[in-house]
Amino acid sequence: MSRVGTIARRTFLIGSATIAGGVAFGAYMVNRPIPNPLLDDLAEGEAAITPYVKIDANGITLITPRAEMGQGAVALQANLIAEELDIDPASATLTPGMPGLAYYNAATLEEGAAPGYDDSTSTQITRYMFGKVAKLIGLQITGGSSTTPDSFTKLRTAGAVARETLKEAAAQRTGVDRSQLATKDGHVILPNGEEIAYTALAAESALIAPVEDVTLRDPSTWRLLGKPNMKRLDMVAKSTGTEIYGIDCKVDGMVFASVCANPAIGGDIISFDATTAKTMPGVQEIVPVTGGVGVIASNTWYAIQAANAVECVWGPGSYPENSEKMWNVLETAIDNEDYFNDRQRDEGDVAVALETDDIIEAEYRVPYLAHAPMEPMNAIVLVTDTKCEIWSGVQAPIWTRDKAVALTGLAPENVHVYVQQMGGSFGHRAEIKHVEQAVEIAMAVKGTPVKLTWSREEDMTHEFPRPPAIARARGKVSNGQVDTFDLSVSQAAVIPSWLERNSGIAMPGPDPSIAHGSWDQPFTIPNYRVTAYRAPDMVPVSTWRSVGASGNGFMHDTFMDELIHAAGADPLVERVRLCFDGTSRKVMEEVGKISGWDGPSLGENRGRGIAFCMSFGVPVAQVVEVTNTPNGIKIDKAFIVADVGTVLDPKNAEAQLFGGMIYGLGHAINSELTYENYAAQQDNYHANEGLRLFQTPEFEVKILENGHHIRGLGEPGVPPAAPALGNAIFAATGQRIREMPFHKHINFV
Amino acid sequence: MKYPLLVAVILGMGSAVLARETAVEIVPPAEGSVSVEDGLDAWSRVYEVTGHPRCANCHTGPSDRPMWSGPTYGETRPHGMNIQAGESRMGIENLQCSTCHTTKDEDWDNANDIPHAAPRVAMGWQLAPVEADWFGRSTEEICAQLRDPDRNGGRTAIDLAEHLNHDLILHWAWSPGGGREPAPYSLQEHINDILAWGVAGMPCPQD
Amino acid sequence: MEISVNGEKREIDVALDMPLLWVLRDELGIMGPKYGCGIAQCGACTVHIDGMAVRSCQLAVSDLAGGEVTTIEGLGTPDALHAVQEAWIEEQVAQCGYCQSGQIMQAASLLDADPAPSDEKIDAVMSGNLCRCGTYPRIRAAVKSAATKLQET
Repeated sequence: MSRVGTIARRTFLIGSATIAGGVAFGAYMVNRPIPNPLLDDLAEGEAAITPYVKIDANGITLITPRAEMGQGAVALQANLIAEELDIDPASATLTPGMPGLAYYNAATLEEGAAPGYDDSTSTQITRYMFGKVAKLIGLQITGGSSTTPDSFTKLRTAGAVARETLKEAAAQRTGVDRSQLATKDGHVILPNGEEIAYTALAAESALIAPVEDVTLRDPSTWRLLGKPNMKRLDMVAKSTGTEIYGIDCKVDGMVFASVCANPAIGGDIISFDATTAKTMPGVQEIVPVTGGVGVIASNTWYAIQAANAVECVWGPGSYPENSEKMWNVLETAIDNEDYFNDRQRDEGDVAVALETDDIIEAEYRVPYLAHAPMEPMNAIVLVTDTKCEIWSGVQAPIWTRDKAVALTGLAPENVHVYVQQMGGSFGHRAEIKHVEQAVEIAMAVKGTPVKLTWSREEDMTHEFPRPPAIARARGKVSNGQVDTFDLSVSQAAVIPSWLERNSGIAMPGPDPSIAHGSWDQPFTIPNYRVTAYRAPDMVPVSTWRSVGASGNGFMHDTFMDELIHAAGADPLVERVRLCFDGTSRKVMEEVGKISGWDGPSLGENRGRGIAFCMSFGVPVAQVVEVTNTPNGIKIDKAFIVADVGTVLDPKNAEAQLFGGMIYGLGHAINSELTYENYAAQQDNYHANEGLRLFQTPEFEVKILENGHHIRGLGEPGVPPAAPALGNAIFAATGQRIREMPFHKHINFV
Repeated sequence: MKYPLLVAVILGMGSAVLARETAVEIVPPAEGSVSVEDGLDAWSRVYEVTGHPRCANCHTGPSDRPMWSGPTYGETRPHGMNIQAGESRMGIENLQCSTCHTTKDEDWDNANDIPHAAPRVAMGWQLAPVEADWFGRSTEEICAQLRDPDRNGGRTAIDLAEHLNHDLILHWAWSPGGGREPAPYSLQEHINDILAWGVAGMPCPQD
Repeated sequence: MEISVNGEKREIDVALDMPLLWVLRDELGIMGPKYGCGIAQCGACTVHIDGMAVRSCQLAVSDLAGGEVTTIEGLGTPDALHAVQEAWIEEQVAQCGYCQSGQIMQAASLLDADPAPSDEKIDAVMSGNLCRCGTYPRIRAAVKSAATKLQET
């Protein structure tokens, strides 16, 4: 069993409990019992247990607490359970369940502890400790590409315990020993071929001790996981307009709302005049909210129109008023000991090595970026004197509940969060400001459910964006090899900003994300140093698909490419030579193989670039081929190779990788948020385009399984995209682009 | 941001189109009353209009691609989304201009107040004909095109003025809404300049 | 005012400038067409009007002028899929899926006009529909396999 399995077993056990007419199987904590969300439904004296599987006479329900944002998390979780439970996952009812501490996600924080290639004992311990913290702060969260590693053992174990307990119930009913029984397709099979449906055994299963001593099946016997025909369970609904996202939810008697809030994020509202808004069609009520004004109307369109018509006097922001001043802050912090965050990589003697005249220097910049998922923020909230109910697509339901508890004064057990399908997130829905606004509006009309929808403009101008960063790099080559690599990164802290705003927890110590994607790369360079400087907080910022690696992947790998070029070495060969991690080397070699790599040149006006970044434990190498046409750069082809240890859902894994790369390419080319008078200047997709279909290259994707850990793929496809493109543009044109978005420096077709 | 209310009087606006058209007067100066010099002055103002992005962005000639410009777009750039007008100049099959630039039944006010939304008028949205190729063209080139009956639809100056009066996309250029910059001068002034230029004998700077 | 959606006459009482999208979603409860941008930049709201693709966020309901509206719900259902929907499922196109109603409506309209579109045509017609998850490679594949399906039937 892998080490992940060891950790998992130490922190949970699988038990069972009686529910009305049936049985629930799931995890409870070993070290300290954690309150259970299902307790409300359990009779007194019954076990506290958080279910992953519920069976009654009517059918089987699988609980998939990690939220569906588009990354295929729900289907993966269902297949993990179903693999061991021997059911068709498509035949089960799927539900995210209610927020509960027992659904905490250890893997999110474990990944923050150490580089993915580091398997030393101390790292194992650190990962374990981070996992404990996750439990203590109730981090039931979807993110950090953590669903796969977090669920891999937990959910298969839940499925296996449920299966064996159902078999035991059948054994006790029939007198046939459990070892003689088999299972298939939701039934226990007797030696004589007779079948007993799980649903018929549910009530009896609840009365016996769960069979906890189970052995997980060997991957070679899997019938669902890892198979090329494994399908997501949401494709029919998503192809017929019948998938219900948060924005599609209906609650009887609901009214519709929208808001206009201070474009200076977190700023106050000094006064407002809603005289015009009140006279507009359908408008029912004007409700002040923190830092803004809400409008209740008889449909969303009326609400948005009226919210736009409210005239507001805004207080100032708490950060520099425009982008120029923000860049100044980053420039002040870089290489300034007063802002030192950490130096997690310091090998050789960089200072001595750079005491020479032939230093290569470069400065890189990455901008604020909006997440801008397709579905704008929305929530339905019903507040009464005794309870609060919330329907919304959120990544952190416990924190969402706690915000509502604080606003309403209700007890936590009287606040219910129903997590909805999300029309994309990319980190956007790890924020819950919109739910807070919806709760405030609903408190003004108690007893009436309020559906709040942000206009696209409200959404994009109230982003908690990816922070900007500046990197300064100095290096040296000798004898055709990279000799010295020194990178300083200046950025405001992401994790503390996000964590404190959403959970109230202040994070002590340095922010590990500032140089994530730079310091933790698996290279050996004689003199190698990465230093992070923590600039003062400016616009409140948040986790954005691949977090720190989204910018660092670009800055680190582009400088690597510059040094390799200066050394006169081959970009692929030299990266492989410098890499000490065998899994990563194979990834780079494989991308060379499938792209037919024989150097960066592809003939006149054509070129290709390679880039590598390990993030969230996943080494990813990408090659981009471009043509420099008379009207601009055209991306012709892209190749991706990654290693995830074990591929559970090949078709979806491929989609996550090319989707991540498309996300990375689009933002590299044309996306940024700039600020004027505290407000984001880009308020809709015309100014934040991302990649469109006609710009999308052909893709070739290959996933390797040499790594020791199982990994998730929601994010690692993003970081190498920008440097691979930039390096290809350099190969085709000789122009080195060191600032995103690239379209400020070169045209694209 | 403020989006003024569209009140329910829109229904009563069936005569709005007519009202707008008749708001412009086509009264050419008397024959012989405009000198060549004054005609060239008039032309220079006409060129300010025809060379302005509000107009030239849809007079892109054989390139088939409308252009975008404005404060948020940086330099003038091709219309996003890979938009192509096709031979019809109204969009290629089933991604017609009208997929987004929907056609209003009536020329009601405020239809284009939302910034960056697709502008719409009470006629089908389209690019100007290929011959009317103005984008990036010099004053001499545009002048030569506009007085060439083979390339201006066989129009006299009065016909050009009538065309300006009837084409509602052209009306939109002077009231684009949504914070967009209108074409220079006013529609009436532009028509007056066209008429004066015509009476002066359609002089061009290269003459 | 009466409008016709998916073959059914529906009575509505709204402001005349209300976009068709919001009439469908909030007044008639037809949730397939999605709100993404409100300014014709994303295509998530695409419906057919008399067979032609139209961004429903850009059409004032009073400008429908008697046109027959078809939403994704009227194109095909889980039990009776349209060929484009079949292709979308087979190619496993969707990730978050939010833009896919619009993508499918745009693709169906394209194939209606051009049963065998070239790669260039697909790139031209499908580039007005934004997908933030990056499903484009499979959209291309699905449009082509849907074209084959439609030619076979």
